[in-house]
Amino acid sequence: MDVSQYLEIFIDEAKEHLENLNTQIMNLEQDGENMDTINEIFRAAHSLKGMSGTMGFKRMQTLTHDMENVFSKVRDGNIKVDSDMVDVLFQCLDALEAYVAIIQETADEGDNDNANLIKALNDILNSEGAGQEDSEEGASAQKPDGETNITGEGGDGKANANSGADSNAGQNNSAKDQANADAGSSAPDKHKWKQIKIGNVERSAIEDAEKEELHAYGISIYVQESCLLKAARAFLVFRAIEELGEVILSVPSVQDIEDERFDRDFSVIILTDQPLEKVVDAVKNVSEIEDAVGGKVVFENPSEVSKAGDASNTGASSGDSKAGAGAASGADGANAKAQSGAGKTAAVGKTGQGAGKPEGKKAMGKPVVNRTVRVDIEKLDSLMNLVSELIISKNSLVSVAETEIGGGSLAFNEQIEYLESVTTSLHESVMKVRMVPIESVVTKFPRMIRDLSKKLDKKMELYMTGEDTELDRTVVDEIGDPLMHLLRNSADHGLESAEVRAKRGKPEVGSIFLDAYQDGNNVIIEVRDDGNGIDVEAVKAKAIEKGKITEEQAEAMSEKEAIDLLFQPSFSTAKQVSDVSGRGVGLDVVKSKIESLSGEVEVRTKLGEGSTFTIRLPLTLAIIQTLMVIVGGEKYAISLGSIQTIESIPVEDVKTVQGREVIYLRGNVIPLVRLTKELEVESMNAPDADLLVLIAKKGDRFAGIVVDELIGQMEIVIKNMGKFIGKSRLISGATILGNGEVALILDANALIQ
Amino acid sequence: MGMDGNKGITNEDLNERVQVVKIRLGVEWYGINISIVENIVRMQRITRVPGAEPFIKGVINLRGKVVPVMSLRLKMDMPEGEESRTTRIIILRVDGDEVGMIVDEVREVVTLSGDDIEEIQRDSKNAGSAYLSGIGKIGNDLISLLDMYEVLGVKTV
Repeated sequence: MDVSQYLEIFIDEAKEHLENLNTQIMNLEQDGENMDTINEIFRAAHSLKGMSGTMGFKRMQTLTHDMENVFSKVRDGNIKVDSDMVDVLFQCLDALEAYVAIIQETADEGDNDNANLIKALNDILNSEGAGQEDSEEGASAQKPDGETNITGEGGDGKANANSGADSNAGQNNSAKDQANADAGSSAPDKHKWKQIKIGNVERSAIEDAEKEELHAYGISIYVQESCLLKAARAFLVFRAIEELGEVILSVPSVQDIEDERFDRDFSVIILTDQPLEKVVDAVKNVSEIEDAVGGKVVFENPSEVSKAGDASNTGASSGDSKAGAGAASGADGANAKAQSGAGKTAAVGKTGQGAGKPEGKKAMGKPVVNRTVRVDIEKLDSLMNLVSELIISKNSLVSVAETEIGGGSLAFNEQIEYLESVTTSLHESVMKVRMVPIESVVTKFPRMIRDLSKKLDKKMELYMTGEDTELDRTVVDEIGDPLMHLLRNSADHGLESAEVRAKRGKPEVGSIFLDAYQDGNNVIIEVRDDGNGIDVEAVKAKAIEKGKITEEQAEAMSEKEAIDLLFQPSFSTAKQVSDVSGRGVGLDVVKSKIESLSGEVEVRTKLGEGSTFTIRLPLTLAIIQTLMVIVGGEKYAISLGSIQTIESIPVEDVKTVQGREVIYLRGNVIPLVRLTKELEVESMNAPDADLLVLIAKKGDRFAGIVVDELIGQMEIVIKNMGKFIGKSRLISGATILGNGEVALILDANALIQ
Repeated sequence: MGMDGNKGITNEDLNERVQVVKIRLGVEWYGINISIVENIVRMQRITRVPGAEPFIKGVINLRGKVVPVMSLRLKMDMPEGEESRTTRIIILRVDGDEVGMIVDEVREVVTLSGDDIEEIQRDSKNAGSAYLSGIGKIGNDLISLLDMYEVLGVKTV
């Protein structure tokens, strides 16, 4: 069976489950009795096992199976959770992650059996010495040694047990149809295909086909409840049917089925020259298909098509002798009643049930049917590029309107404005699609801190807030490593040993905080600890020792400058190189990574009290709102996010403090930055003219940026300038204006000292 | 030229043949391997980039992309030239990125065989010679073959 096309889904979902397991096992260690946590773990492990089995990854399946056994014992209260057990479980998760990583690269799980882990798991199981009752939840039904079972039909006891109840739940609409009692083994309204409304087109196709000795059958297919890749199964079902005939109608639609927007069953109307039994058997042969029932499609009143509702529904023929395909035959006179009782169409019913199924509660509030679509990031990138092009083209229209038509036609301007608002919302929507919560990155940190705590033999606790803060997907993918570095740094260098903490009157358990929040156009992520803080003198001493600075330089250095030394390559103040950090690879990597994402890192520290590393990242990457200005005849764009107000300041209000020009504005002393000087151009304005000052703010610092002229607000597309231009402190990129001119983007943050 | 022109040439011959774009700086002619040449465009408005190195003249809009432009004269330690009717920007793709080089003139594409190329002694005293990969002979004319990876400071693997 070819499952390769589901590999990506598998990998994505496996990663989600592993992440979830990581978090939940952390919780488990905190509170080993919490049934919600235990059930959640059990569910995730079970899903993972089923998925890997379906995909044929047997080693992964074996390992998850054994883990599941342990969880099962925990749930039943036969084993108590302890730290050693959690260690083993975490090692198992690491091993599973390794499997997934190998699968991602090679589409194969590799050949590491992780026998030691399996042994460790079994030791945990045996230590408790209880009877081997792991058949609970049907786990034994899928014992990996019985290899043929793995993808075998109905292999999972649990699924079967539950599915019975489940199908009842889904059938409540027909509870009144007692007349169906003659239907035999299975409930008669399993024949959901009878509720399919057959339109005139399909109907005439069926009638034509029947003239050519083809048969029209309706089949309802039920997927096992435990099935994790329902769409994959449905696909295989379709393929099986299409080998024998043609599917002319499907409820839900094929598209919905592919997107997994169906509950547990779907129905099709097919045309074939084969007997019904053969088709139904072929369908049932697809693994994880619980049942399939079918019958011949017969129209009750062939002459009258357009009679309301149920008239156009297909009625099963009572005289259909072929419909005995194992399942209940369609020979139920009550069929018409079932249809009228059903009322709503089958298609609508599906989605409705998906969301509202009572099962929802059991699954810890997670929606059973996920109404999301996985999209390749490349497709989003290309969509983003198209939006960028659209915005550039809109900008040229605006500039044409301004110059050539001169704002003459009101209607034209209105349309331009409309176009502007549409492109802006389009851009926002695309950006939103690209936004993902940083959760996916930070969930692994509590576990990491736990490991570090053991390794470093320091007691510490990680507190996180703002995990739901969203960032562009590309940024989220990149931000994990820098954050990890900073956390390790805090754990290793930041937090003091227990003795020192006791001496300083600090609580024995050190605290590390990871806070994320949005601040205007930026997202801030702070890593904070209540440890030792940075010893500026030690940093200077180290820098002198390494020959990076002279003693004189060290004397003259401000605290900030000294701290900046930490971000230089191969600089580590840890007296001993430890396993955790302090190899001199670290903060410089963090800094360059953050800067490559157009962000910045800042450090605040107080010796003896702790340090805070603040990462500031732009919310969006490609398109920003800017203020277009003219400096010395050249056009520049400044990100609007950093501009607070625009002021006109008379020259005589400019004061000089310690050799620097400042203005006094609403109680703040604000240093002036003359862009003409920074950009090495001559101002075009008269020296005594009022100054046009943009007040920019970064954190709690202000700067007054002096420009010659304002053009106005403009949405621009940031273009990369390539590596040959060299790094410039002030220029963060370029953009193409409506008239084709290139304008540079000024980084206002860099102007704030 | 075209397909017919290549008939009868074995693969080995082809391997030794090098096609170069012949360009002029001042009075001297140089060759740039055609495999890295993306485009040749007329001189156009260049947006200055403050704080960049002197030989970087700025950036241009090349069909929606922002591409840096350098003066090849300044890069080669030659005095800056006057812009003329023949001045062109030759767009190269080196190491995945595009970059434009301002040259005084672009003449033609010439094909050199291995025999036509003379290796040169790297002269440490002459900075310009570090940028050369050889001297090409076309009849009685000589052109200096430029190693643009050296010029741009990109490490070749």
